[in-house]
Amino acid sequence: MARYFYLLTLVVILFSSCEDVIEVDVPIDEPRLVLDGLIRVDTTQEFVDVNIKITKTNAFFEAIDIVSDVESIYIYYGVENEYGELIGGFYSNLAEVEPGSGVYEPDPTFTSDQRIRTNYIENETAFWLILDYEDRRYAAKTYYATSVAIESLEQGDGTLFGDDEIEIVIAFTDEPEKENFYVFDFDFGNFITSEDTFYEDQPFSFSYFYDVGLTEGDEVTVSILGANEDFYNYMNLLLEQSEGGFGPFQTPVATVRGNIFDVTGIDNINQFDNVGEPDNFPLGYFAVVQSFKRSIIIE
Amino acid sequence: MKETQIALKKTLFFLCFLFSIYSYSQQKFTISGTLLEEATGETLIGVNVLIPELQTGTITNEYGFYSITLPEGNYEVLFSSLGFATQTETISLDKNISLNISLKTDTEQLDEVVITADVERANIKAPQMSVNTLTAGTIKSIPVVLGEADVIKSLLLLPGVSNAGEGSSGFNVRGGAVDQNLILLDEATIFNSSHLFGFFSVFNPDAIKDVKLFKGSIPARYGGRVSSVLEIFQKEGNSKELKFNGGIGAVSSRLLAEGPIVKDKSAFLVGGRASYAHLFLPLFDINNSAYFYDLNTKLNYRINENNNIFLSGYFGRDLFSINDSFVNVYGNALVNFRWNHIFSDKLFSNVSLIYSDYYYGLELDFVGFEWNSGIQNFNLKYDLKHYLTDKLQINYGLNNIYYSFNPGEIKPNGPDSGIVEDQLIKKYANESAVYIDVEQDLTSKLSVQYGVRLSHFIRFGQEEINVYADNNPVVFDPFTLIYEKAEPIETVPSSRSDQLESYTNFEPRIAAAYAFNDDLSIKASYTRLSQYLHLLSNTSSPTPLDVWTPSGPYVKPQLLDQYAFGVFKNLRNRDFTIEAEVYYKDVQNRIDYIDGADLIANDAIEQVILNGEARAYGLELLLRKNTGKLQGWVSYTLSKSEQRTPPRNENETGINNGEWYNTPYDKPHDISIYGNYELNKKWSFNSNFVFQTGRPTNYPIGQFVFQDIVVPYYGFRNVERLPSYHRIDLSAIYTPTKKKNRNWSGEWVFSIYNVYNRRNAASINFRQNEDTGANEAVRTSIFGIVPSVTYNFKF
Repeated sequence: MARYFYLLTLVVILFSSCEDVIEVDVPIDEPRLVLDGLIRVDTTQEFVDVNIKITKTNAFFEAIDIVSDVESIYIYYGVENEYGELIGGFYSNLAEVEPGSGVYEPDPTFTSDQRIRTNYIENETAFWLILDYEDRRYAAKTYYATSVAIESLEQGDGTLFGDDEIEIVIAFTDEPEKENFYVFDFDFGNFITSEDTFYEDQPFSFSYFYDVGLTEGDEVTVSILGANEDFYNYMNLLLEQSEGGFGPFQTPVATVRGNIFDVTGIDNINQFDNVGEPDNFPLGYFAVVQSFKRSIIIE
Repeated sequence: MKETQIALKKTLFFLCFLFSIYSYSQQKFTISGTLLEEATGETLIGVNVLIPELQTGTITNEYGFYSITLPEGNYEVLFSSLGFATQTETISLDKNISLNISLKTDTEQLDEVVITADVERANIKAPQMSVNTLTAGTIKSIPVVLGEADVIKSLLLLPGVSNAGEGSSGFNVRGGAVDQNLILLDEATIFNSSHLFGFFSVFNPDAIKDVKLFKGSIPARYGGRVSSVLEIFQKEGNSKELKFNGGIGAVSSRLLAEGPIVKDKSAFLVGGRASYAHLFLPLFDINNSAYFYDLNTKLNYRINENNNIFLSGYFGRDLFSINDSFVNVYGNALVNFRWNHIFSDKLFSNVSLIYSDYYYGLELDFVGFEWNSGIQNFNLKYDLKHYLTDKLQINYGLNNIYYSFNPGEIKPNGPDSGIVEDQLIKKYANESAVYIDVEQDLTSKLSVQYGVRLSHFIRFGQEEINVYADNNPVVFDPFTLIYEKAEPIETVPSSRSDQLESYTNFEPRIAAAYAFNDDLSIKASYTRLSQYLHLLSNTSSPTPLDVWTPSGPYVKPQLLDQYAFGVFKNLRNRDFTIEAEVYYKDVQNRIDYIDGADLIANDAIEQVILNGEARAYGLELLLRKNTGKLQGWVSYTLSKSEQRTPPRNENETGINNGEWYNTPYDKPHDISIYGNYELNKKWSFNSNFVFQTGRPTNYPIGQFVFQDIVVPYYGFRNVERLPSYHRIDLSAIYTPTKKKNRNWSGEWVFSIYNVYNRRNAASINFRQNEDTGANEAVRTSIFGIVPSVTYNFKF
């Protein structure tokens, strides 16, 4: 009998799935413009840290192209009137401050200060991003989304799938009397989304497990970003597509479309409900969200 | 006047003619009874009862009963079945005769592993087509991964049956979806047929008597799923003596006990199977457990010649636990009470009362919540089989199923959790049906089976339901070209006695066979089926968190039309049989999901669903060798399976621009070869070869970066394919000589799965390498070469 169980153990060890990297010829689409326009508003600061990165898509195994030759780019913001129109808002003109970076920030060469003051932003402030590039005009519209403070950020000693994981426990209280959506930034490109359906108005805490090689003394910065439903959905889809999934749990693929559109030839941007080239859409998202962050040193 | 007389004469003549068809000139008598296995008292399904003199015959039904009505006379009656010695009785039929027959197994070996001369032969004359049967014996000798004999993995070797790959649950029949299979265990519906995410199926091979898969031409007594019916009967238990059998394998151990309670009158069967607790230990080297178990029970009691009752039960669970921070439990349970009553030697009836449920539970300690969901159903069936003459049998009955759906309940798992308790809205429905089905031999060459099922579905009221503008829960944004959830204009509460929606469907079924001679026939069939339940799943294969949703105001029932044509031939004195079939089918109202649809914990599922359609067509070839030391089959399927969701009006695009696209289980070429070679009494060898076109997948057409996240993006759905899938498996069965004067007999099964260690891709994922930051395509392959040993015993 002893010999028998030895056999069993041997068999079980052989039984494990494996992953390997393979060569695949991927197809390529026409390059599309991509805007990384997530603006995090830290309300404890005087100015909003505006930086928008503009790139172009490329085939999966090729490098991303930086776009440095945008003709003009600006943000137009304020509170809309009862007809949903934004009249007499403020402008913030942007420029590529560091040449060749593809990062557009408030233009310091303007005579007036182009930076956005945090105390100008109210709950329902609307933001437009207008961009001219290669004879086409693109526009995006978003509303400011609030967030809540991180009450505590602690290191735990639990693990989920492996011994080399680091557990971080984050606690916060859901913003009361409102349907809330949150995006958590756990640093190193790790994000999760959450909606408050099951913890409405409650103090809530959960654990996040890092499986990247964090070691003692490393600093981790965690942020809670506010989100409206559209941005929450966008991030959800984006994360799903970037993570792929293991066999049976694979999610169906989709093109992750954001809120930036080709509006060339449309005179009233407040009413762009029809466009000439709906298929010529850029990728990426423009969002202005409140953000609270905290850091922790790994022990 | 004269004309009237002629007309009258004609009518009389016609009436006489009709009468003569019915009674003929001679008197007729009925011979009926039950077929049993001599050693165990187990009833035998599908035994051929043949009267060579008249070139006619019948087969025993699911409860071993047969009845045939013949003209007065002396006959030889042959009773023959797989694995049993054919028995001949000479009868002199001058009155109605009741004849119960016990058949002897034709060897002394373990009966389950014997493949004898009568292997599942193509039935030339019967109009039933598109059906495959497997015996427990065949299932147990097919080499499988880790030596764990498996009903569903065995079905995959038959033409027209495939699945999404290793480690995916369920199976696809003729290009249909996994949720379109009706899986019946002792007539009770099984909602999830998989253990361990699809590595194994829930059926304990020791407890199984008979497996039958209808891929098309589904008789009117079945309904409720549009793709196939998999009917599995459990053994009743040995009514002669107490017996044990079991096995010790690499994955699980099994033990089954059966024996008489009152000899020849009443028997029990209890079978258990459990896997070892740390199956996946090497995958994550931490404190975890992953195991499954199931329990099969059956009691039967023969009250008298005409009354027989059965009580059967099944309970199975899968358990996963990872560091106690992730605990997952799921499984099926069922209990079934049946009463066979024989009204007369020509009229057999069965009443079934069935309860079955599927449960899924999850506890996530690191988020602080517990989740419970499931589906329950109560089923009443009454089926009658009326054996009118040897040429005419009528089956009729009714069926009523009440469903209760719990889409999810969420609870905090402790006092510290911030989770608010919530119950997603429960749903209720009732499905009822009546049917009549006629099996008739029109001439000695032409026989037909035709019938109709009338089904009715009621979706009952629930706590609240959303109402949308224009009755439209999904809106299309013509600016962004995407489908979005519509905001409800109000929510309306309703009572559980209200009807939110009801559907009635008329489902005709027709099949005909024309036999040119004893060895060649052609068959054709048309089947219409409706399906009122839908499995919500937008992954390539279902996860154990099966969310079923009933049809209702926004989700319509699926409707299938299937046409099939086939040629059936016996060759070389029935050593070989060839079956060739072509089919075409289409399904209306196949649900499809909008991009980014969230299906879990969604109280308004109608907001992410569109009604699409599906179609499939193909050619299936099956060549079997039925006799000799080398037996087995070669099967080839050439098929196409597609779906589309066209725009609902001219302003919309539809899903995938409204074009047809490959379903995730479209596999144009599928070849399976199975062979069994019996060297001598001690050794037999088995082998499989499988080749399939890789399943459809998606490659990114580009990538971009958002906030340090590398995002691949995709074009039209399911355009690319995974590399082709193929493998060879081998097994050897060694049966040591049984010691005299000892009851114990055993056998060793040595098997090697995927002999040449091909790394078949289960999926290809596109992602950024966490260490190097470079983009890569990652192939996941599940089983490389897997050797294993299983020991089966019986005493």
